[in-house]
Amino acid sequence: MAAVAAGNGAFREEEGTGGDAAAPQPHAPTSAPGARLSRLPLARVKALVKADPDVTLAGQEAIFILARAAELFVETIAKDAYCCAQQGKRKTLQRRDLDNAIEAVDEFAFLEGIGRRWWKSKMQ
Amino acid sequence: MAERPEDLNLPNAVITRIIKEALPDGVSISKEARSAISRAASVFVLYATSCANNFAMKGKRKTLNASDVLSAMEEMEFQRFVTPLKEALEAYRREQKGKKEASEQKKKDKDKKTDSEEQDKSRDEDNDEDEERLEEEEQNEEEEVDN
Repeated sequence: MAAVAAGNGAFREEEGTGGDAAAPQPHAPTSAPGARLSRLPLARVKALVKADPDVTLAGQEAIFILARAAELFVETIAKDAYCCAQQGKRKTLQRRDLDNAIEAVDEFAFLEGIGRRWWKSKMQ
Repeated sequence: MAERPEDLNLPNAVITRIIKEALPDGVSISKEARSAISRAASVFVLYATSCANNFAMKGKRKTLNASDVLSAMEEMEFQRFVTPLKEALEAYRREQKGKKEASEQKKKDKDKKTDSEEQDKSRDEDNDEDEERLEEEEQNEEEEVDN
C-alpha cells in the first residue's frame, strides 16, 4: 500500500497550483502506469450529477466512471479540435477549432448550440 | 456572461492538464478554447447522467450504477469509451477492495494488540507470585478466571 500513499502525494503537488486544492483529491493511481484512476475530483462530478432533478441517487462507482468518461471526452475533443487547427497550420487551439470539431463529429452533436445563451439557460 | 459558480465547472487546472497531455508537445490552447472544452465536459457529464438515469429507471432502480453509465456511453455513441472505462472500473474496484482490507486489517491488528497486552500483564503477575503460590493459590486462580 506504500505505492498508494506515494501516488496520493504526487497528485497533491500537481493540483496545488490550480488553486482548486480545496476540492477533494482524486483516487491515487494503481501501480500500473496506464491505469490512472481519475484526475477529476469526484466531488465536482457528483455535484453535476446531483444537479439533475430526475436523479435520486448515484453510486460511487457510477460517479467514478462518469469522471473517467469526462476525462476521455476531454482528450477526444481536444485531439479532434487539434486536427482542425493543424489544417490551418496553427500551433494554438482556438475556440473556432472546437466549433468546427463539434460540427464535424457526429458524437459531438449534443454540444451543438453550446453558446453562452444555451449554457445560461441550462444553469437555471 | 453570468456563469454559474465553480461547483458546476470542472477545475481548470485539471482540464488544462488533460488537454495538454492529449496534444503533441509545443501545441498550446487559447483561454477561450480551454474554457469551452471545460464547459463541454460539464455538459457531457450532465447528458451522460440523464442517459444513465433512463437506464436506471428502466431497471426500476433509484440508484445510478456503473453499468447504467456504460449503457449511456453506448447510447451516446461513445462506444470507444466502453473498454477503457471497464478497465478503469476494474482497477477502481481492486483499489477499493484493497483499501477496505487494509482498514479491516488495521482494526484486527489493533484488537490483537490490546488482547496480547492483557495476556502479558497476567503472565507477569503469575511469575512474580510463583513463590507465593502455595499461600495465595486462591488469589491467582481468581485472577486467571477474570482474564
